[in-house]
Parts: sequence; structure tokens; C-alpha cells
Amino acid sequence: MNDMTRPDADDPPYLHPGYASTLARSPREPLLRIPAGTLDVPGPTVPQGFVRSGDNDLTIHGSSAPLGEKMVLTGRLLDAEGRPIRRSLIEIWQANAAGRYAHPGDRHEAPLDPNFTGMGRTFTDDEGRYRFVTVKPGAYPWKNHRFAWRPQHIHFSLLGNAPVQRLVTQMYFPGDPLLAIDPIWNSVPDEAARKRMVCGLALETGIEEVALGYVFDIVLGGARATPLGI
Amino acid sequence: MAARRTPSQTVGPFFHEALRWKDGGNVTFAEAGRRIVLAGRVIDGAGEPVADAMIETWQLSPLGKTHAPAAGNERPHGFGRVETGEDGSFRIETSMPGGEAPCLEVALFARGLLKALRTRVYFAAEERARADPVLHAMAGSPRVRTLVAQPAGDDRYRWDVRLQGEGETVFFAV
Repeated sequence: MNDMTRPDADDPPYLHPGYASTLARSPREPLLRIPAGTLDVPGPTVPQGFVRSGDNDLTIHGSSAPLGEKMVLTGRLLDAEGRPIRRSLIEIWQANAAGRYAHPGDRHEAPLDPNFTGMGRTFTDDEGRYRFVTVKPGAYPWKNHRFAWRPQHIHFSLLGNAPVQRLVTQMYFPGDPLLAIDPIWNSVPDEAARKRMVCGLALETGIEEVALGYVFDIVLGGARATPLGI
Repeated sequence: MAARRTPSQTVGPFFHEALRWKDGGNVTFAEAGRRIVLAGRVIDGAGEPVADAMIETWQLSPLGKTHAPAAGNERPHGFGRVETGEDGSFRIETSMPGGEAPCLEVALFARGLLKALRTRVYFAAEERARADPVLHAMAGSPRVRTLVAQPAGDDRYRWDVRLQGEGETVFFAV
């Protein structure tokens, strides 16, 4: 029998002992394989008014600019057939440039930045494109093991068009030496799949003399539910 | 051209402010329907509450339809999103879904879950849930009862999610 807790090598297994929090939270019973297409049906449609102007620029909500390396993050949201996923909600969150989340549960003693909450939202456009303006998040220590540090990353939440496409992931940065020691990154068994979570440096997508440019395309599972001709 | 999927990663412990939707636990519909409350707890394999989980629900409308888009700046019809409290508890108010075996599609996210757990909760007798083609492969298993909400009076239902161990909830391969 196949390992039913790892239905797809593109994704991590639920149990990855190097990431200690999986030990008590991963199911041990075989997963139930439900009929194909059960979740490849139309999903929630988020009204366009749900996102307000400026929600995709994380650098403009304080009394001055946040500290850190300003960056423009652009990319496309695609389905498994490579077609654009249009007018779909993307939510992101991240640590500030010092590696601290504006979250009451974050006890890291790095400073908060009063000009940065690290949260953004946007919709993809008719070509599946999105754009955020933010600052590069800092690395931060965590308690998973001795000298554990998370690589710099931005959390992404994608609704897609169908429940089967729902994805939460993390975007990493090229050349980060902490990737090699990160159990969350390394939970994905396939190296080529891990690399699909790394953005690319693309200077000309940034703003001359202002912001670095990074590009990150995201591919969601399922294609049947992608509406054609809209 | 075929494209390879972006892998899943954990939602981590710091998602709350970013993913919290105003009234996300009060699911709206274009149609009137019987309002119900689903409450329960998320428990891990050590019996501890999962205090940093997020649950999303998706369902048919009270008349058994898929949803028309909501207007203006509202949340989408038929979709719920709540986080668990310190004791692992959650509460969703919604309308009874239509269809022969009324149920919510559930996606559960948490620190320690590298990929969302997918399951269903049925508001129907256990026998009816067993007859649902989606559960066909395990229709004879006693574990089906982990997918059935228990009536708790006054349009209230109770459903606990056990991530691991005794009474482990049935989760789906997606």
C-alpha cells in the first residue's frame, strides 16, 4: 500500500520529525481517498470590495516608512495547466526587517517596527498577476532545536477558484544559507519542488533607486475549476 | 502548458491578525435558512488543545445551490473562517446546508501542520453519512462517526477534531 499520508511528493508529509510540532499533530491513520473532483468545484467568490486600495503596499501604513530593505514582489498565480487564476484573493504576512512579527505570541526580543504590521492583501488581475510592496523580512530564532533559525520568508495564503486549490505556503529568498538547516523547508521531499518556493531576484521589476525586485510565481493544484473565457 | 504545483508549508503560529476576517465565523448566504451553531475543540495526539489552529468551512446554500457572489465589500457567501481559542475551541454560526447529506467541507490549518487537513462534518444521521459516495471507501468503518456532528439542542451541534490517536478524525487525501 502506498504511503497514504503522503499522497503527493510535491507536498510535505504530515509527519516530519525534524519539525517537532508535527509529532503530536500529524494524523497516523491512512487518509481517505475521496472521489476525484470532489473538491474541484467552484469555491468562494470574494467580492472585489473586500480588498481596499493600498492593502498591497505594506510600507505606507505608518507615520513614516518602515525600516529595512524595500522590495517589490510580483508574480503570477497559475493552475496546474498553466492558466492564470484571475481575480483571486492573496493574503500575505511576514516578520519585520529585524525578524519580529507584530503578533502578541512572538516573544523574540528583536524590536517591533511601529511603521510595519507585515500584513497585506490583493487580488490577482485578469492575467493572474499580483504585486506587493514590502520590506525584506528578517530571519529569526525559534525553539525547534538548538540554534534553530527560520530563513527569511513571507507567508502566502491563496484561495484559488476551487477548494482543491486552497493553499498556504511560504516564499523564501535565493541564496539564503539558513534554508539548508530549516526543517520546514526541508519537509518537502523533492528538491525541485523545494526550489519552487524560492523567489527570483529580478531587479528591473523593482523601483530604480528605491526598491529591489523579486518575482514569485505560484501554481495551485486542480484545473477543472478554472473558469474559461472570463 | 502543465505547471508543477507550489508545495504547501505550515501556516505557523503568527497568522491571526493577517488572516482574521471580521465576522468570519458568521457565515452568510443570499437565501434565508435555518441557522445552526457548530462548536467543538481541536485536540492533538497528546490530548492537548490546539490553540493556534484555523478552520475554514465551505458548503452548499440552504437550498442546495452553489453561491452567487456577495455584493460590495462583504465576505463571500457560504464560507467560514475561524481560529481556535486557548482551549482549542471554535464556533461557527451558519445555515443548515442543503443536499441529501448536509455537510461542511472543512480545511484545518495550524502550526505543526505542513499541509492543511481536509475533512467533512455531516449534519445527518450516521447511517446517512455512511451512504454518501464520498465516504464509500470506508462506509463500513466505525471511524465514520468522527465526521458526524452531534445534536446539542436548540439548533446547536457539537463536533470535536482529534488530530491523532484514539478517536482520530478521518482526514481526506486531496
